Amino acid sequence: MDGASILIFSESSDALVELLTVGRALCTPAGGRVTAAAIGQTATALAEHCLARGADEALVLQTTAESFPGAEELVFGLRESVRAADPDTILIGATRIGADVVARLAQALEVPCASDCMTLCRDRDGNLEVERRIYGGRFTARQVLTGRPRIASLQPNRYPKAEPVQKPHGSIRQLAVKLPPPRVRTEVSSPRARSAVDVTKAEVIVGAGRGVKKVEDLALLDALAGALGGVLAGSRPLTGDVDWLPTDRRIGLSGQTVKPNLYIACGISGQIEHIVGMKGARTVVAINNDPKAPIHAEADYTIVGDLYEIVPAFLEACERAKRA
Amino acid sequence: MIETAGASPLNILVCVKFVPDPNQLQADANGRPDLARAPFRISTFDENAIEAALQLSARHGGRVYGASIVTGQMPPRDVLLRALAMGLEALYLIKDETALAADPYRLAVALAAATRAILGAEKIPSWDLFICGEASADQYNAQVGPRLAVALDLPAIPYATGLEVRQGRLVANRAVDGRSETLETSLPALVTVGTEINQARMPTVLQVMGAGRKPIRDIPLAELPGFDAQALGQRPSLRTIDVSAPPSARKRVTIEGKNAAELAAQLLSRLRADGEVKF
Repeated sequence: MDGASILIFSESSDALVELLTVGRALCTPAGGRVTAAAIGQTATALAEHCLARGADEALVLQTTAESFPGAEELVFGLRESVRAADPDTILIGATRIGADVVARLAQALEVPCASDCMTLCRDRDGNLEVERRIYGGRFTARQVLTGRPRIASLQPNRYPKAEPVQKPHGSIRQLAVKLPPPRVRTEVSSPRARSAVDVTKAEVIVGAGRGVKKVEDLALLDALAGALGGVLAGSRPLTGDVDWLPTDRRIGLSGQTVKPNLYIACGISGQIEHIVGMKGARTVVAINNDPKAPIHAEADYTIVGDLYEIVPAFLEACERAKRA
Repeated sequence: MIETAGASPLNILVCVKFVPDPNQLQADANGRPDLARAPFRISTFDENAIEAALQLSARHGGRVYGASIVTGQMPPRDVLLRALAMGLEALYLIKDETALAADPYRLAVALAAATRAILGAEKIPSWDLFICGEASADQYNAQVGPRLAVALDLPAIPYATGLEVRQGRLVANRAVDGRSETLETSLPALVTVGTEINQARMPTVLQVMGAGRKPIRDIPLAELPGFDAQALGQRPSLRTIDVSAPPSARKRVTIEGKNAAELAAQLLSRLRADGEVKF
């Protein structure tokens, strides 16, 4: 094979420039090109963003759609870019939308796809070899994708973002696409209340889980976060099954991927959904009264105990230490 | 069949996966998952999928069927009965003894063929709705639902947190990437669901035993009408070459102490020593 051809796509510009880094790393010694696909009203800006960071080409899909296309239409547009770029590998950011798009695109192209990859490399035969977490995150699977193109999705906020290059060399190619009429109609779409804080940038995070019994009890964890100069976040049950915390404070596969220096998991059992989001933390503390909770295996320091006793005591210890 | 006001009954197919319970799966001496010793369960989100189907069926009438591709080891009978005891009309097990359908692409192709086979076997004119869990608890690819929609050329709404059928159309709520949405589409359609949509019912032991009278029907994968095993076997694949417990980079220190105050003090001194707490 002479040189790799990699197509990257994400509706999120942050995720896209991470894919650029990974795509570049997958290029063979014989060289290779990384092409970014962009669609929607911000397509040109996204394309320029990628070119400034070293992408070899950017495909701007021009559509007549007024709003950002749904997954089915996105897949239609992406198939056009696959035709144009003829990639051997497609990398897509695993946001919720991205995870939907990647699966549909793979089926439409009748090819395999590996979701939420932690590592990617080429094996000796030029196939794509990936590592993913399976069985609740307790095991790692090494998997090989054959065929062309093969597709992988990557968790956002895991890889370094590509930096601006001194001499951008890539150019924009316009693709006119007539998207099919949507079969799924959007009746209502409103931005959810955004938190004042960005958990992906926090140095300290206190994570609240199902072990928190009442919404009022979050005040206690919030106070601990405050004492440590950090922010409060939550697992999927607290940000989805109940609306105790905004969804942009959800740590996990269906939410944010975070890399704080210190992560304190309170009453969180440790499902894969959650672990994937917080495994980049430098130091992890788990407070959970169930000695069998999987979170303990993912922690540097574990306390098997009732968070309603441990957290107030720890908060008090912190405040005493600050005064001293 | 009971019809509720103005609504036509719905034929719903739920895709169900039976998985070794990830929370009870241990590593063997070689660091590999000890699948033989882990108890099986209905994959978490699939329980929510069954529940969502049953709730729609209670409102609109109609029947809910289950389809599962069984690769390798047969799930224990009590776990199969659990799915039936929740309220499925019948459970179809598509037996894949050669592990042909072991990746999401092949699974979706096999399931698409199964949906047609079950229609024929049950003498149902057409499916109205397919419900899948958002991802399986074991592999967590989160691909099969959207892939099946493409394979069947159906509109799909992943991540539904609320479902309604109004005048023969599907209305779904969801919260995705910072937005709250209400989406609408025609039937037949496919939706995927997670834990947000409902609290799945827990059948009693008596109900599980009683479900023994309900049909569990086996179909060998190769016998699905329109399913070309040989052609599929030659398609590119996602192949697992190794599964192992990753060496933990965590310190995994259990903090000991007689009471909460002692535990808290211990933890604080550890975090200060590591430089994670600066006071």
